[in-house]
Amino acid sequence: MFHWLEKHPFFFAVGVFLVIAFAGLVEIVPNFVQASRPVIGTAPYSTLELAGRHVYIKNSCNACHSQLIRPFKSETDRYGHYSLSGEYAYDRPFLWGSKRTGPDLMRVGNYRTTDWHENHMKDPAGVVPGSIMPAYRWMFTNKADIDTAYAEQLTVAKVFSTPYNKPVPMKDGSTVTVKMGSNVAEANAMALAEAKVIAADMKGQDVKDAVAAGKIPEIVALIAYLNSLK
Amino acid sequence: MSIAELQAYGYVGAMVVLVFISYGYAYHLYTKKKDASGKDYEEYSNMALRDDITDTPVSARSEHKKK
Amino acid sequence: MENRPLEYDYTVTKMFMFMTIVLGIVGMLIGVILAFQLAYPGVNTILGEGLAEYTNFSRLRPLHTDSVAFGFTLSGIFAAWFYIGQRVLKVSMAESKFLMFIGKLMFWLYAVGVVAIVVSLFMGITTSKEYAEFEWPIDIAIVIIWVLFGISIFGLIGIRREKSLYISVWYFIAGFLGVAMLYLFNNMEVPTYFASGGVGSIMHSVSMYSGTNDALVQWWYGHNAVAFVFTVPIVAMIYYFLPKESGQAIYSYKLSLLSFWGLMFVYLWAGGHHLIYSTVPDWVQTMGSIFSVILILPSWGSAINMLLTMKGEWQQVASSPLIKFMVLGSTFYMFSTLEGPIQAIKSVNAIAHFTDWIVGHVHDGTLGWVGFMIMAALYHMAPRVFKRELYSKSLMATQFWIQTLGVVLYFTSMWIAGITQGMMWRAHDEFGNLAYSFIDTVTVLHPYYTIRAVGGLLYLVGFIMFAYNIYKTMSARPVEEYELQNASPMGA
Repeated sequence: MFHWLEKHPFFFAVGVFLVIAFAGLVEIVPNFVQASRPVIGTAPYSTLELAGRHVYIKNSCNACHSQLIRPFKSETDRYGHYSLSGEYAYDRPFLWGSKRTGPDLMRVGNYRTTDWHENHMKDPAGVVPGSIMPAYRWMFTNKADIDTAYAEQLTVAKVFSTPYNKPVPMKDGSTVTVKMGSNVAEANAMALAEAKVIAADMKGQDVKDAVAAGKIPEIVALIAYLNSLK
Repeated sequence: MSIAELQAYGYVGAMVVLVFISYGYAYHLYTKKKDASGKDYEEYSNMALRDDITDTPVSARSEHKKK
Repeated sequence: MENRPLEYDYTVTKMFMFMTIVLGIVGMLIGVILAFQLAYPGVNTILGEGLAEYTNFSRLRPLHTDSVAFGFTLSGIFAAWFYIGQRVLKVSMAESKFLMFIGKLMFWLYAVGVVAIVVSLFMGITTSKEYAEFEWPIDIAIVIIWVLFGISIFGLIGIRREKSLYISVWYFIAGFLGVAMLYLFNNMEVPTYFASGGVGSIMHSVSMYSGTNDALVQWWYGHNAVAFVFTVPIVAMIYYFLPKESGQAIYSYKLSLLSFWGLMFVYLWAGGHHLIYSTVPDWVQTMGSIFSVILILPSWGSAINMLLTMKGEWQQVASSPLIKFMVLGSTFYMFSTLEGPIQAIKSVNAIAHFTDWIVGHVHDGTLGWVGFMIMAALYHMAPRVFKRELYSKSLMATQFWIQTLGVVLYFTSMWIAGITQGMMWRAHDEFGNLAYSFIDTVTVLHPYYTIRAVGGLLYLVGFIMFAYNIYKTMSARPVEEYELQNASPMGA
C-alpha cells in the first residue's frame, strides 16, 4: 500500500493530510462548545475597555505579560485565583501569552490603580526600580480608536451573540447589563463618559484636557481595560 | 454514551490500528527489503546522488511504455 | 538555442536565495536589538524618544519572529524546493513556461507580502496571535502565495521523469499540506469593517474562536508551524544536501520512510504541551506531554540516519566546513528534539513554562538546526547556481566556529536564566510566603541576558560573513560541470 502511495502523488498527499488532520479533529473539536461557555460573573467588554484591549494588542503587551494563572500555590499567592476556562469566553483573541518577562496581568485590576498605571506607563523604572520594561509615552498623545472597538462590538454581538444590552448573571445573584451604543456617535459618547471617570483619577493635565475636549488618549482606554481585569 | 466516552474509545481504537499499521510497515520493509516492483528500497537513495538531468532515472515514469 | 542541451533552470532559486540572505540579516539584526533591549532597556529608545513607538521591544518582537520564521526560513525552503524539486524529479523548470511563470509570480507576490507585513507590524496592526500576527488582507495574500507554492510542487511532480518520489519530496509535500491546513484554521477571522457595515478600521478583524478554544487552535497551529516550517522542510533539505555533498548514500532509506510516517502521525498531537496547567482539558495536556516524548523516536530516526550516512567518511567532517554545518545541524536537531520532550513533562513544564528556557529551546533549534541547514543549503547550491566555486573555505570555517560559539552562549545562558527564574517564582520562605517579589526575578537575569545578547551578536556576525561569502562567490573562479558532482568546490 505504501509503495503504491509513493508513486501516486495525489493519493500520497491525501494520505498525509488524513494522518495530520486526525490529531486536530480528536483534540480540538469535541470540547468546542463546552470551552466557550462563560462562567458566572464574566461580562463582555465595554467599548472603552475593548479599545484599551486593542491598545494592549497593538503594542504586543502579550509578548511579555501572560494572562493565565496556573493552579500552583506560588502563582495564586502572587496573582490571585487560578484561571477558569469560562473567564475567557469573551476574549477574542485570547491573550494568555507564552512568556513572563513581566508579571501576569490576569487579575491586575484587583491590586493596581489608575494612578499606578499612569506613573508606570510613563516611567516603569521610576515606579519599580530595576524594571526593564520600556516606557510607553506615546500612549499619552495617540488617540484611541473607539470606532474600531465599536465595530468589533457590533460584529461579536451579531456573529457570536455576545450578550451586549442583555443582563448577564453575577456571582451574588444580581445581573449586570453591558450597554453598547446603537450608533457610532452614541458609542463614542458612552466611551467618553467612561473615559472621564478614569481621567478624573489621573494626574497628567494633558490627558485631562484631551478628555475634556472630547478626545480619548490611548492610555485612558488601556487603563480602563487593565482595571477591568479581575 | 457521552461525547467524552466516544472520544476516548475512538482515540484508543485509532491508536491500536495505527500502531498495528506502522509496526506492520516496519516489519514489511525490513523482511521484504524490496518493493512491489522488485527494487531494493536502498536504491532509491540514488535519486539524490545521480540527479543530473542526463542521468537515468531509478525508475523512469515511461518505463512500462517502452517495454 | 534549440540545440542547447537541456539544463536545470535555477532562476527562481536564485531569487529566493537573495531573499533568504536579506531577510536573514534583517530578522537576526532585530533579534540582536531585542536581546540588548532586555539586558539594557536604554536600547528601547535607540533612535530617540520620538521614534520610541517603533523601536521598543514590544513592537519589534513580532517583527523578529516573523522575519526569521516566514522570511529567512521560508525563502530558504522555497529556494531549496526549486532546486531539489527539479533535480530529484529530473525535470527542468525550463521545460514548462507555466511553472516558470508561477514560480516568478510567487516570488514577487512574496516580496510584496514581506513589505506589507513589515509596514503593518511596525504600525502595530496585529492580531496578537503568535506567528499568525498578520491581519486578514495579508492572510489572504499568504493563502494565494501558498497555493502558488502548491502548484509549483504538484506541477513539477506532474511532469517528472522519475517515477518514485524521493524522500525529500515527501517532506516538502507534507510541509505544504501541514502549513495550509494549520494556517487556514488558525486564521479564521471576521473583518469587523464589513460585519459592522463600515465602521472603524478596515484592517481590523476578530477571531472566530474565543478564549480557551482560541488558545487550543493557536497552539495546535503554533506548535505545528514549528513542525511544518522548522522541521519537515528542513529534514527534506538535509536528506538531499548531506548525501549529495558527501557522496554517500543515505544510511538506510527504509528508516527514512518509517520516520516520515512516524513524524507525520505523532507531531500534531504534541501541540497540547504549550498549554500544560492552563484551562484546556486535562487529557489534552497529558496527551501533549506523552506524544512529545514519543516524538523523540521519529525525530531521532531521521537525525541518526543522517549522522550514520557519514559512517566511514568522518574525515569529511574535518576537512569540509560545509559538511560541518550539516553534521552539527543534525546534532542540534537531536539535541533540541530531546530538550523539547523534557520540557513537555508536566513537572518540568511547571518550572520551565513562561521562562527563558523556552526561548533558549527555540533558539537551539532555529539557530543550530534551521539556520545551519539553510546556510549549508545555500553554500551547496551557490556553486551550482552561479557555476563558480565558493569564494573562501577559510572564511566559511571561521564563520562556523563563531556561530557555534554564539549558539552555545545563547542556549547555556537561557537554560540558567530560565531555571533560575522558574525556581525563584515558586520559592517560599519558612513561613510559606513568597520569597521573592517579581522584580527580584528580573534583575537577577541581567548577566544572562547580556551573555545571550553577545551570543546572538556572534551569530549575526557569522551570518554577515556568510552573506559576504555568497556575494563574492558570484564573481569567483568559474568551474566546470564535473567539479560539481559531489563536494562543492571551494577557494582558499
